[in-house]
Amino acid sequence: MDDRYVILVGRWVVLTLGVFWSAFPIFMVVSSSFKTHLDIFAVPPKFIFQPTFDNYVLLFREWPQFLDGLVNSMIITVGATVLTAITSLLAGYAYSRFHSRLLTLSAFFMILVRMLPPIVVTIPLFPAVNAMGLSDTHAILILLYAAFFVSLATWILKTFIDQIPRELEEAAEVEGSSVWQRLVRVVLPLSVHGMVAACVFVVVFAWNEYVFALIFTSNEAKTAPLILAEISGAIEGVQWGILFAAASVQLLPILAFVLLVQKFIVTGITAGAVKG
Amino acid sequence: MSTLILEGLSKNYGEVEALIGVDLNVGDGEFIVLVGPSGCGKSTLLRCIAGLEKHSAGDIRIDDRSITGVQTRDRNVAMVFQSYALFPHLTVAENIAFGLRIRRTDKSVIEERVAHAAGLLGLGELTGRYPRELSGGQRQRVAMGRAIVRDPVLFLFDEPLSNLDAKLRVQMRTEMKALRQRLGITSIYVTHDQDEAMTLADRIVVMNNGRIEQIGTPMELYDAPVNLFVAGFMGSPPMNFIELHRKGGNSGAQLETASGQPVPLPERGLSPGVRSVVLGVRPEGLRIDDGGPLKGTVEVVEPKGSETQVFVRLDDLHLLCVTAGKRATFQPGDPVGIAFDATESHLFDTDSGQKITTEKGTAA
Repeated sequence: MDDRYVILVGRWVVLTLGVFWSAFPIFMVVSSSFKTHLDIFAVPPKFIFQPTFDNYVLLFREWPQFLDGLVNSMIITVGATVLTAITSLLAGYAYSRFHSRLLTLSAFFMILVRMLPPIVVTIPLFPAVNAMGLSDTHAILILLYAAFFVSLATWILKTFIDQIPRELEEAAEVEGSSVWQRLVRVVLPLSVHGMVAACVFVVVFAWNEYVFALIFTSNEAKTAPLILAEISGAIEGVQWGILFAAASVQLLPILAFVLLVQKFIVTGITAGAVKG
Repeated sequence: MSTLILEGLSKNYGEVEALIGVDLNVGDGEFIVLVGPSGCGKSTLLRCIAGLEKHSAGDIRIDDRSITGVQTRDRNVAMVFQSYALFPHLTVAENIAFGLRIRRTDKSVIEERVAHAAGLLGLGELTGRYPRELSGGQRQRVAMGRAIVRDPVLFLFDEPLSNLDAKLRVQMRTEMKALRQRLGITSIYVTHDQDEAMTLADRIVVMNNGRIEQIGTPMELYDAPVNLFVAGFMGSPPMNFIELHRKGGNSGAQLETASGQPVPLPERGLSPGVRSVVLGVRPEGLRIDDGGPLKGTVEVVEPKGSETQVFVRLDDLHLLCVTAGKRATFQPGDPVGIAFDATESHLFDTDSGQKITTEKGTAA
């Protein structure tokens, strides 16, 4: 048999297995959310069934706080993403365009801190957060999530800004623009791929994060993953249909977002890897 | 319309002196071309004028007002970069309008000025395109458009044609000259191409090692270079240099080449102590003449269409370029004599490289 044919078939088999491995659990969660309790636990599993929206109706009737959780998650995710994007753009610009011993030291420190398990640096903050009245607020999770990702995002953006010729900024300067105008009108539009790539990490993390949300929120700022955990741990027993419906609602926005910006992710992560 | 004065301008990068005491007066509407080899400081000088580099000493004045310490964006100069530095995310119209938008110019004024600049540069049909969709020449025009649209006090050009192919460069050079005659804005233009300098300049500034070697009109520099560097830099093909040694005593001295060929030059007021000089003659100042005082062998013949350049080996050290007629029939290996017009020749001090005299002699 032709070697090329074998390679082609092999490649498709591996790709199919990979897609199946990744997508099957998602398929099971989403499809189960449209099943009755009996269909969910049918053996063998039912792939053809009469779909029902009962689980979604029940979810929002019995767990109205899930909607609040989604809103909180949305606020915190958007807040953390915007904060990370702004700080990382500024830091990435500084690291790309200016050079000094102090900057090198700060870059090293930033990466060093990122190497530590986040929980180690976060738990000691608890008393301070309480004292400042930030506990159970959106602000504390926005700050924490942004802090976790600012180093990675800064590095991605620095790589992007490195590739923007300085002459473009000099041209803008000669044309009369201030440093802020250059950042907004030249650097930002030209590093938007890097910014989106960096933001994807923050969005995915902030949307799904559980541990810190559990530590720092109790009621007002409770996020969707916490409500999901409550649904799965309800004392009257797990209502699997509702849980799958909630998981689907929680899952779909992030899935749609990642699919939408996937081309940015590839260019963002590989930026600087190959000299163009 | 503005004047520019540079007074004792110096720029150091640590120990390296990029500019050393540069003095230059640029008149209103004058087009000055800075030429010199790579690393001579011409681009640094331009960047200092733009404010993109801070000069270490001296002063820059526009219209007799010092702009030392004034930020780049407040100098109201326009600059065309070697790479054009067009904003890739903006269309041609947006690129041209960039400076006006920054200055919050009225929208109708922006549209009017962009349309005028685009029309002037033949970009009317291209205003909606992005830089990546343009050819090199079109990009160059957009960069020009961005410079002229906001009526700056000074134009700065940093090798704007060097990224174009040879044919397009000549075409753009002509267009640029027509444009400059039309706009009449005071301009400083950097190039390492002396053809470009000769074609465009009102006056040329020749720079070397951070210093100005000579300032003058193109023909002044061509006809009366003050030193070996300028003589060798201006003109293509470059001036021929022949090292001559003095034979005999101080009185009745005779100059001859290293291989002992006597060169009959009239008395040029050589001081008695001078033992060797460099004779400089342009290729068109030499002619192949069997009765000529210099003897050599044809080594290479290069027909150029309008003329033929004949390279004659005089001795191990000297290969002379001679401009001959367009139907010259010399062959490599032909023994020839070379004559020259002493009025077209220059003598330079071997050690200092400075021109020795400007007295005119007679034909040799």
